[in-house]
Amino acid sequence: MRTIKFIVKRLVYSVFVLVGLSILIFVIARVMPGHPARMALGARAPEWAVERLREEMHLNEPLYVQYYYWAKGALHGDFGMSLVTRRSVANDIKEFLPASLELALYAGIFMGIIGITLGTISGWYSNTWIDNLVRVISYIGIVTPSFVFAIFFVLIFSYALEIFPTMGRIAPDLIPPPRITGMITLDALITGNFAIFLDALKHLFLPAISLAMGPLAQEARITRSSINDNLKKDYIAAERSCGIPERTIMFKYLLKPSLIPTISIYGLDFASLLGNAFLIELIFNWPGLSRYGMNAMLRKDLNAMTAIILVFGLVFVIVNIIVDIIVEYLDPRIRLGVERGQ
Amino acid sequence: MNKVYKIVVIIVVLMVSVGVSMGLSFGEAVAEKSVLRYTQAFPTNIDPAIGEDFSSTRALTVLYDTLVYPDEKGAPQPCIAKKWESSSDGKTWTFQLRSGIKFHDMTELTAKDVKFSMDRLITMGGGYAFLFVERIVSAEVVDDYTVRIHLKEPFGPFPYTLYRLYIVNKDLVTSNIKKPGPYGEHGDYGTEFLVTHDAGSGPYMVEQFRLEEYLLMKKFSNYWGRVAPNAPDEVKLIGTTEPVTVRTLMSRRELEISDQWQSLEALTALDKIKGVDIAKVPVGGMFYYMMNTKKPPLDDIHFRKAIAWAVDYDTVRNTIFPGFNQARGPIPHELPGFDPTVLQYHFDLTKALEELKRSKYFGKLDQYPVELHWVSEVPDEEKIALLIQADLDKIGINAKVIRDPWMVVVEYMARQETSPHLIIMSISADYPETGALLTSKYAPESASSVNQNEWLLDPKYDAMLKDALSTLNTEERYAKYAKLQHYIVDLCPTIFLVDTPSMHAYQSTYIDWPAARGEGIPVIGYELDARWIEVYPDKRAELLK
Repeated sequence: MRTIKFIVKRLVYSVFVLVGLSILIFVIARVMPGHPARMALGARAPEWAVERLREEMHLNEPLYVQYYYWAKGALHGDFGMSLVTRRSVANDIKEFLPASLELALYAGIFMGIIGITLGTISGWYSNTWIDNLVRVISYIGIVTPSFVFAIFFVLIFSYALEIFPTMGRIAPDLIPPPRITGMITLDALITGNFAIFLDALKHLFLPAISLAMGPLAQEARITRSSINDNLKKDYIAAERSCGIPERTIMFKYLLKPSLIPTISIYGLDFASLLGNAFLIELIFNWPGLSRYGMNAMLRKDLNAMTAIILVFGLVFVIVNIIVDIIVEYLDPRIRLGVERGQ
Repeated sequence: MNKVYKIVVIIVVLMVSVGVSMGLSFGEAVAEKSVLRYTQAFPTNIDPAIGEDFSSTRALTVLYDTLVYPDEKGAPQPCIAKKWESSSDGKTWTFQLRSGIKFHDMTELTAKDVKFSMDRLITMGGGYAFLFVERIVSAEVVDDYTVRIHLKEPFGPFPYTLYRLYIVNKDLVTSNIKKPGPYGEHGDYGTEFLVTHDAGSGPYMVEQFRLEEYLLMKKFSNYWGRVAPNAPDEVKLIGTTEPVTVRTLMSRRELEISDQWQSLEALTALDKIKGVDIAKVPVGGMFYYMMNTKKPPLDDIHFRKAIAWAVDYDTVRNTIFPGFNQARGPIPHELPGFDPTVLQYHFDLTKALEELKRSKYFGKLDQYPVELHWVSEVPDEEKIALLIQADLDKIGINAKVIRDPWMVVVEYMARQETSPHLIIMSISADYPETGALLTSKYAPESASSVNQNEWLLDPKYDAMLKDALSTLNTEERYAKYAKLQHYIVDLCPTIFLVDTPSMHAYQSTYIDWPAARGEGIPVIGYELDARWIEVYPDKRAELLK
């Protein structure tokens, strides 16, 4: 009950956040240099055609009138027409979002499993060669842009070793499974097609791991740091002096509180995966929303830009709500604090 | 600690196992198909009233037919139209169509489809509409196989422009119109339908179009015309130009022809792959460094000529673009109507200084710096800008190099006040005829477009051009074009750098590409016409062993 109230309250706040975000991006998109109607029709399109498109997009109206038209449509799920793809932005989002979500999902899994594992090992074996090795790997992961990893992995695993495919979501000779979620791996599992599932996973592996490298290195460092801090706490010393086995200390008393900062950052990292995936999607020819969004910005596709930023904003909001719920579960002090507050 | 260690080992082993199993081929078909794959920059618009860039045009050429088709010299040959004639005043063109041509839905192509295609293109105003909107009065259906097009004024190159009028299936498009739309009773004119479907009669048809990923086209088995015996069964246009991706695909023989956006360094690396060669395909284009003739100090003809004499053209064509021809005047060598007697500027600092001294700005050069702009999406342009900056410094002209994104370029070139001093651009002819570039480069209607930074607005040039374009006889028209080329070179509004062929890496071992052999059609879109490219899957299989 209390959790439900919390979620409802956060969702209500989120509406205000999203409205503010929509106004901000709406204004920024329109004051950016570039002539969207001219870009859409071509540099040599006749002026009357450009003017007609401007009228159709209400670009000759004041900003608040333009926002009114846009908001009216958005409330009905109509974000207007994309000047790049020439079809409704809502259809484009429906098509490209699942691909990006799928990529982010698997990147998130890599981030979580590998990042937390490395951080735990590093923290537990603090100041040993294991810790030093993990720290070096983490630093490299943090400072190296994801597209560098992507290029490196393509050169090694696709070009030299030919283990993984270079691009796309599925082998060209295979027929994709019926579209249920739009995520090929999930749709293949739901329809029981294991061969397609494995093939899609094969195509996902390199882009997902490339995208995850930076954030997983950060997760490792934060986990390590958190474990190190908690290891110095009195309650750990007390547990050791009581003879509690190290394994029990690690998994029952140390890991849970140490993961709190990791989970908080994990949430932000996961949400930003969608927006940061542009170069990865470009290198692997992945038909995702991030790439679509970047093309929209380069071509000043106003409707698409605004809708995509809103989608990313919504993802951030949802992920942060989930993270807050998880953190509250992990840290009883927060739960008790809230209850006392009631 | 041992337990933790064991758990970690178990996780690692699991991940390696999954990785190994993913490395195995599960469910992949190994059947050898005849497929031609090439990379292009997306988006690709396969709507004939919208697409006009490289990528879109290459797809449109195989999905649709046109009234006439270019031969290897660019001259119009019969296609849908088996013959045509113009009235004596040049304002009415009558086309006799072939009968029995089928669209991909097996309905017959008739005159009404031609009229519909022209009307649709002109009404929507996008794509190649600019070639027709100011010229066409109307298209008239005389009978099922005769269509008459009425022009406002006589226009000699008119048949050449018809390479860009792709004939759509009227019934199919009209049945997929969405209303309401911006075109009144025509609703959206089938725009949304044609994003991912074709309505053509060309040798290939859309099989699958995954936006942002690829366009897959398959051979149309009932195509009326001729295709090469080993033309591919499928053509796949892959939406990427990333060098590492292209290189990997090429080496794995999963790509037959690369896009033309690969840098020199990337092409050099591709050339090293066994069985891959580099093709230089003329497409009627050139690199122009366009000078704003209305902006001081470039409003002085002597200042402009000083710049033209100061450029080190040999370094441009030997180092930056090795193997490219230096341009001679405003027209590329391969375009019909090119005049080889036009003056060719060359690197001569003595002449440059002489011209500079005759300029009214001599002695005040420090007060008149020039800006050399280049488009950030084309990195090779920066090299040219930096070279010219260094060249100008030798004669005392202070030049600054400025990078601009394309979006900004389109905006500021729309007005004379905001157009830069100099900006470099590669511009190709819309149809393979000198008149195309003389119009798109220097006619008054192109002055606010990205094709013309010069803002020439020269009444004498305009009158000469109008006279040339209205000449129906080809030889007479070319003679007038020659005069125009001399006139432009004398005015020196532009630095004519190099002819720019389209550079592609291709699998020379198992594909036979006429354009790579120098037998291509010098028009964008037609040089990569898959119907003439032959693919040999058995030779590919040999390479893969």
